[in-house]
Amino acid sequence: MTTDDMLLEVRGLKKHFPIRTGLMRRVTGMVKAVDGINFHIRKGETLGLVGESGCGKSTAGRAILRLHEPTAGEVIFNDPVLGKIDVTQADRETMMKLRPNMQIIFQDPFTSLNPRLTVGQIVGEPLEIQHRAKGTELSDRVAELLKEVGIRPENMTRYPHAFSGGQRQRIGIARALALNPSLIICDEPVSALDVSIQAQVLNLLDELQEKYGMAYLFVGHDLSVIEHISDRVAVMYVGYIVEMAKTDKLYFSPKHPYTEALLNAIPKADPRLRTRPERLQGDVPSPANPPSGCYFHPRCRYAKDICSVERPPLTDIGDEHFVACHFARELSLTGVQPLSDIKLEMPPARTV
Amino acid sequence: MTTESPSINLTSHDDVVRVEDLKVSFYTQLGVVRALNGVSFNIPRGRVLGIVGESGCGKSITGLSIMQLVVAAGRTEGGRILFREDAGQEPPVNILDYGKNSPEMRKIRGNNISMIFQEPMSSLNPCYTVGNQIEEAILLHQTNDKTEAHKRAVEVLTKVGMPNPSRIAASYPHELSGGMRQRAMIAMALSCNPTLLIADEPTTALDVTTEAQILDLMRGLQSEIGTSIMFITHNMGVVAQMCDEVAVMYMGRVVERATVDDIFYEPRHPYTISLLQSIPRLGRTKGRLASIEGSVPDPYSTTPGCSFHPRCPVAIKGLCDTIIPEETIVDAAKGHTVRCHLNS
Repeated sequence: MTTDDMLLEVRGLKKHFPIRTGLMRRVTGMVKAVDGINFHIRKGETLGLVGESGCGKSTAGRAILRLHEPTAGEVIFNDPVLGKIDVTQADRETMMKLRPNMQIIFQDPFTSLNPRLTVGQIVGEPLEIQHRAKGTELSDRVAELLKEVGIRPENMTRYPHAFSGGQRQRIGIARALALNPSLIICDEPVSALDVSIQAQVLNLLDELQEKYGMAYLFVGHDLSVIEHISDRVAVMYVGYIVEMAKTDKLYFSPKHPYTEALLNAIPKADPRLRTRPERLQGDVPSPANPPSGCYFHPRCRYAKDICSVERPPLTDIGDEHFVACHFARELSLTGVQPLSDIKLEMPPARTV
Repeated sequence: MTTESPSINLTSHDDVVRVEDLKVSFYTQLGVVRALNGVSFNIPRGRVLGIVGESGCGKSITGLSIMQLVVAAGRTEGGRILFREDAGQEPPVNILDYGKNSPEMRKIRGNNISMIFQEPMSSLNPCYTVGNQIEEAILLHQTNDKTEAHKRAVEVLTKVGMPNPSRIAASYPHELSGGMRQRAMIAMALSCNPTLLIADEPTTALDVTTEAQILDLMRGLQSEIGTSIMFITHNMGVVAQMCDEVAVMYMGRVVERATVDDIFYEPRHPYTISLLQSIPRLGRTKGRLASIEGSVPDPYSTTPGCSFHPRCPVAIKGLCDTIIPEETIVDAAKGHTVRCHLNS
C-alpha cells in the first residue's frame, strides 16, 4: 500500500461532550459522541459514513475540520502545499492555510446560507477571505462557479430566500467548491430534499468529482444513497466504527450483525419483495451511558458471553474489510438481495 | 357543476371513504394557493391506500381535509368526501356537510377516523402523561368511567408492543424515545377502534431500524383489526412494503391510481415513471440517476394544461400545455387510472 495517494488519515479520533448539572455546573458525565475512530480517505475517493441518528457521524465529520475541537486523536491531512499535517495540532495560521483544501456542505440548505447576503456574496466570501480574487475577477469566478452547479449567474444578486431547497443546496456546493478543495465533507447534503431533487444533487456531486477529482467524506443515514455515491463505506454505531469495507462487499456480504440489521430494515422499493426478516429490537443506547463490552450486544441476536465483557477492536479480515466483532469470521450474514428486474420506460413521445 | 370522475363506478365494492373532486385553496397575503385541484380517490374497506408525492403536492392537505382539520385560511371550494362507517349503513355521509366544530364532526374525528402525525414530539402534549392523553379520547367517545378508560389505555399500549405498558402510561412524552412516542401516537389513534386511520408520514422522522419496527407493527395491527389505512408518504420503499393501492399526487391532483403491483411494474404516468427512476435502489450498479428536470413549480403560480408538462420528457406540444388531461381508465378490473394525454 503506497501512502502517497493517502489524503486523510484519522487515528483514534474522540469527541466527548461534558454533561454539566446542578448550580455549580459540575461535570457529571460525558457524552462520548465519537469514541476512538480510525479510517482513511485516498485522493479522489468517496468514503460513506453511515449510521442512525446520534451515532456520532456528523460530529466525526465536524471534528475533522475542527468545527468541534477533538478531545483526542490525530487527523493527518495531506495538504498539496504543506504536506502531511496533523490538523488537531495546527495553529491558527496553519489552519488558515489548510482550510481552503478541506470544505464542508451542510445538511439543511435553509439554515446554512446567510439570509442577509446575496448569492454572489455567499459564494465569493471564501475567495475574499483567502485573498484569491477581488473586483471583476471575483465576480467572474463566482459566475463560473454558479454555472458549474447549474444556477444561472444572473441570479448572483438575489438572496437565498428566492431559491428552492435544491437550488440552495447547489449554492452551498458552489461555496464549498470555490477554493478548489481536495476534500469536501458532505454532511447529509441530500436528506432535506425531495427524491427528484435528491437525484439531481447526487448527479451533480458525481460530475464535480469526475471533473475536479476531490475526495468526499459523505455522511448520511440513507443506505441506498450511500451505496450509490460511495467507493467505500464505514458504518458507525454509538460513536464507534463497527464495519468498513468496499461498498459492494459491505452491502452484499456484511460481516457485522449491525450492518446486516440495518440493510434488512430498509423498506425495499419492490412490492413483490415483501419479507419480514428478523427485526432489531429496542433502541440505540445513549452515548452518555453505553452498555458494557460490545455496544451492540444487547440488541445482537448472535451475542455470546464474551460480547458483554470485551469490546472487539476494528480488525482487518482481509482486502481492507474492517470489522469490530468477535465472531466476524464465523458468522454468515445476509446482505442485500438482488431486486427483481423492473423495466421502466417512458411512453414514446408523440405530437398532436 | 363539477364533472364526475369516470372511475367512480369502477369499484363497486364497499369503500370506507370516497373523495370526489375535492378542491381546497388557501387565501394568503401573497396570493391564492390552489392546494387541491380536484382530487378523487377511494379507500376500499380493510385496505391500505398509499398517497405518494413530493412535498407541496397536497397529500397532507388531503388527509387533513378528511379530518376537517385544515387551518382557517384554507377553504374547501368543491367536491365531496363520502364516509361510510360500516358496510350496512346507507347512505354514506358527506363529511363536508358538517361544520368543523359541529357535534357530528366531533363524533367522527378521533373516534371513527383518527390520524397519526409525522413528528411525534410536537403532536403529543408535553404537560400530560401518555396515559392521560390516550384516556382523553376514550373518555370523549367511549365511556365515562375513568378507571375503565385507564384500563383500556393500558390495553391499547400493550397492543402496540410497549414493554411495561402501565409504566409507559404514567410517563411523559419527553421520557420516551422517538420510536416509543410514535407507538404511543398509534395507541392513541387506535384507542377508539377507528374505521379509518390516516397516517401522515408516520415514519419519516424515525431511523431505519425504528421505522422497520413501526411498519411491522402497523401491518400486524392492520391485518389483526382490519382498519382501513390511508398512508401518506414520499418514500417509495414504504409504499411497496405497506400499501395495497396507491394514488400518486402531483400539484394538487391525483395523476395515477393503481394497485401497488401495477404502480411499480406497469406505471403509466411519466411522473410516476420518473419518480421510480430517480430513487437509488439497493443492490443496483452505479451510474447516473435519472432525475426529473426542474423543480416543483411555485405554489402561487398556475400551470396551464397538465401540471407536469414543464418537467415531462414526453410532453406533447400544443396539447399537454393547454388542456388538462381527464382521468382515463387503463385497466377497469384492477382500477388502474391515469391522467395523461399519452394514455388517452
